[in-house]
Amino acid sequence: MNILEIENISHRFSDGTLGIDRINLTIREGEFVVIAGRNGSGKTTFLRHLNGLLLPDTGIVRIAGVPVSEDIVRARQIVGMVFQDSDSQIVGETVYDDVVFGPENLCLDKSEVKKRASEALKSVGLEDFADQRPYLLSGGEKRRLAVAGVLAMKPRVVVFDEPFSNLDYSGTKQVLNQIVSLHNSGHTILVATHDLEKIIALADRLIIMEDGRVVMDGLPEDVIMKVEAFGVREPCALRLGMKIESWLS
Amino acid sequence: MAELTPFSYRPGVSVLHLQDVRFKLVFIVFISIASMKACFMSLSVLSFALFSAILIIHLPFKSILKELRYFFVFLIFVFAARALCTSGTPLIEFMGIDVTLQGMYDGTLVCWRMLLVVLVGLLFVSTTRSSETRAAIEWFLNPFPFIPGKRVATMMSLIVRFIPVIFKQAKETSDAQRARGVENRKNPVYRLMKLAVPLIRRTFESADKLAVAMEARCYSEKRINTKLYANRSDWIALFLVLCLCVLLSVIDMFECLY
Repeated sequence: MNILEIENISHRFSDGTLGIDRINLTIREGEFVVIAGRNGSGKTTFLRHLNGLLLPDTGIVRIAGVPVSEDIVRARQIVGMVFQDSDSQIVGETVYDDVVFGPENLCLDKSEVKKRASEALKSVGLEDFADQRPYLLSGGEKRRLAVAGVLAMKPRVVVFDEPFSNLDYSGTKQVLNQIVSLHNSGHTILVATHDLEKIIALADRLIIMEDGRVVMDGLPEDVIMKVEAFGVREPCALRLGMKIESWLS
Repeated sequence: MAELTPFSYRPGVSVLHLQDVRFKLVFIVFISIASMKACFMSLSVLSFALFSAILIIHLPFKSILKELRYFFVFLIFVFAARALCTSGTPLIEFMGIDVTLQGMYDGTLVCWRMLLVVLVGLLFVSTTRSSETRAAIEWFLNPFPFIPGKRVATMMSLIVRFIPVIFKQAKETSDAQRARGVENRKNPVYRLMKLAVPLIRRTFESADKLAVAMEARCYSEKRINTKLYANRSDWIALFLVLCLCVLLSVIDMFECLY
């Protein structure tokens, strides 16, 4: 079943710049998709159309069969988004307060809010940090908190925008583990990055964007040899003629 | 990891943490008004009460002093202005400028009052979640039909939440400029401008990112809010604060008479 159907969407910003141009895609439920491209290629603009943060000038985005523009709250509940800058994403005074922000916005029952928050914190391994102040967490922990905030809304698709930026090796592994565990639990995963090295071994599909358009789309092993033409570095192992290994192995 | 700043919420179960936030806001108003005309004796009583509260909620004194260092510089300016501009018995005379006894007395009182008001604010911020502050502001603004209570309350609670982030950004910007030798520039206006412009730009950018992130998590004004409950201990605390304010006024009256 296709969870996301994107039909011919284009978006032009108010200053006249073309953000994305005639994108057509379908994404199956449970798929693990990596979207790569140089800075300014339109990755973030594209992702923001998936939960109605931006609406297309032309074309349509359907989530589980329903157009985003018809029910934006539903779209945002189904498609959870983890942003690049965790500091600006975390709104709560404590870790717990931040996780309950989404469920409270959905006007859920108090006991349900509490249940979802404790489940989300448990799933990212932050249950012991519930009373901690978010700005005291490490980079990896902040990113996991951002994931917990999204998980508490019970999304079916989780979108990560540059999830490894500003993270050290251990922080990157924490986030990778989180992504894999979400995928294993049935979530559809979309990761936008220009750093394929860290994640490509885990992906089912690789999409390359250039100047707001999808220029390549296929199995990672078919696409990856040609990525350098689009400003994305080929993983080191491939350059050395070796097999790409997961960072978690 | 971000540095600790005392101007942020500290989780805990102290009496102040458990107090209804509406009462805490009323306490701030009462104590601030009572301290406006307070003299030495009453300020000493108020200081004792506030320092006891700081001890109860285990706020780190060293960290508070460090964070308030710029405020102390401000207080020195206020003190100097009072000492030099108030007429009275000259204590020191230097190049035609008199430092008067009355000026020093007035300066000490003004600085002391300002410091205590800041400490009251610190106690409030340290013991109150921003969600509770939001709910209380909304409650207070409810009777006013033309003020969008929910929006004002959200903005105010987000300001409190983002104070540590803005401090962190200010420090990063300042460090980056010091690394490029800004200290060699002696003109304070130039240095202030060079710090303020990028800091304000970054703050606005962060605010923009925050708005998008909140929207992505379905934020709207129609949402569940923290429920506020007043219990017996809140009314007892209100009574005690009122007694303290009356005591301060009585002490002031006697101090003014004699």
